[in-house]
Order: sequence, then C-alpha cells, then structure tokens
Amino acid sequence: MRPFRAVRGGGVVARLDQAEAHIVALLLDQLEQLLEADADDVGGDPVLVRLLPDGHRGDPELAADYRELTEASLRSGKADDLATVRATLPDGGGEVRLDADQAAAWLRSTNDLRLALGTRLDISEDTEPPEEITGDEDQQLAVYYWLTALQGSLVDALVAGRAARS
Amino acid sequence: MAGPLAPTRTPETTEEERGDLDRPWVTIVWNDPVNLMTYVTFVLQELFGYDEPTATTLMLQVHHEGKAIVSSGPRERMEHDTSRLHAYGLWASFQRDS
Repeated sequence: MRPFRAVRGGGVVARLDQAEAHIVALLLDQLEQLLEADADDVGGDPVLVRLLPDGHRGDPELAADYRELTEASLRSGKADDLATVRATLPDGGGEVRLDADQAAAWLRSTNDLRLALGTRLDISEDTEPPEEITGDEDQQLAVYYWLTALQGSLVDALVAGRAARS
Repeated sequence: MAGPLAPTRTPETTEEERGDLDRPWVTIVWNDPVNLMTYVTFVLQELFGYDEPTATTLMLQVHHEGKAIVSSGPRERMEHDTSRLHAYGLWASFQRDS
C-alpha cells in the first residue's frame, strides 16, 4: 500500500495492491450484510451494538426515543458511506483518488470496518500487532492493524490538507 | 477595544439567553480502544469547530479519564450532537449535566 497523502484542492490519494483492495471489498460486503440484516434487533450482534450505540445510559425510555429518532438514518448514512468506498475502490488494485466528500466517506467507513473487526477480535488498549501469523485470528489482527495504518494515513492527509488551505 | 455603551440586543442574544434557562444537558464522548487519537481530534474539530488545541485537550481527557463533555445545551441539540458523533463511530451519549 502507498498510504494516503493530501493533494491540492482538498483531495487525497493512495495506492492499494490487488490483495488489499480485495480485503477491503470483502470487509465492505460483510458489514453491508450486517447493516441490512437484523433491522428489528440491534440487541443481538455486538458489532451492531457498537455501531448503533445507545444514545443515553440509564433511562431506557430516553434511549428508546433516541434510537427511534436516529437509528434509521444512522444505518443508511453508514450504508451510503460503504457504497462510496466500494465505488472508488479500484477492482484489481491501483490508485485511490478521492475528493473531499469521498475522503470523508472513506474516513467514516474505515472507522466502521475497524470497529467491526475490533469488536469481533475483542481489541483492548493492550492488544498488540501479531509477531507472526500462525492462524486465522492472527490474520484478522494483521488486517485490523493494516486498516489502522490506512485510516491513520487518511486522517493525517486530511489534517495536512486542511492546514495547507488555512 | 471600543464598543457601544449599552449591549445591543439582537434576536440571537435573546434566544441564547432563553436557551441558557433550558441547558442542563451535555454530550459525552467515551473512551474506546479502537478509535485513533488523531481521528477523535479531527472529528471534534469537524463537528464542533473547536481549534486544534481545544480538540486535542478534549481527546486527551477522553483517553486518560475515560470520557469528556464535548458540548452542552438543550436536550434536542444534545441528541443531535450524539447522532453526529455516532455517524463518525465515536462512542457518545447525552445526559443531564451533573
């Protein structure tokens, strides 16, 4: 991967190889399916619980009001972001060139993908990158850290771009 | 700095004062192990217009103390702020100011 960097005009650019683009596409599919399923039951999957959190702790009625008010548009916003990422992901790998809006979608979606993976892998403050890949979980952990580097570079590129414009 | 002798009352002034009577609610961002510190800082600037030092201070408070209040005001606005933070994957909630 060539990490994200700012380009003039508020956009960003990165480069993903074929395997990396394929992994992102797979993760997008998985998250999309999760967001589309279980429309009536957030209380089930821990990933959904994290992506669609309670807006209020303590008072179930306030929490229910908040959920009723916001959940549908939160779900569809995340789905839209995932769709934008899919539309700008180069199929066999290659350049990822994003305008400001697309960059914002990638920012939110990579965060959602990391939250999903992080929840599944039970990531904590003490979790560290795997030293060697000995199985499935190490593999997923390595993907998590790769996504972290990708998102991190995107944040840095957007911050640099904003500083350059001020 | 020179200014008028009496404070000017504008529609915004009076609305804000009315809001003050009705502002015992806050929005909180909670710490979580996934969200990057640089990301949280960026989002706080993006959503609330905080300058970088302020956003960084709030982010560090979240990181070290487990949570930070990022906005305050009427309940409806705190619900809205919470949902904007949720759209960015931050772990947020609203509650009465304690």
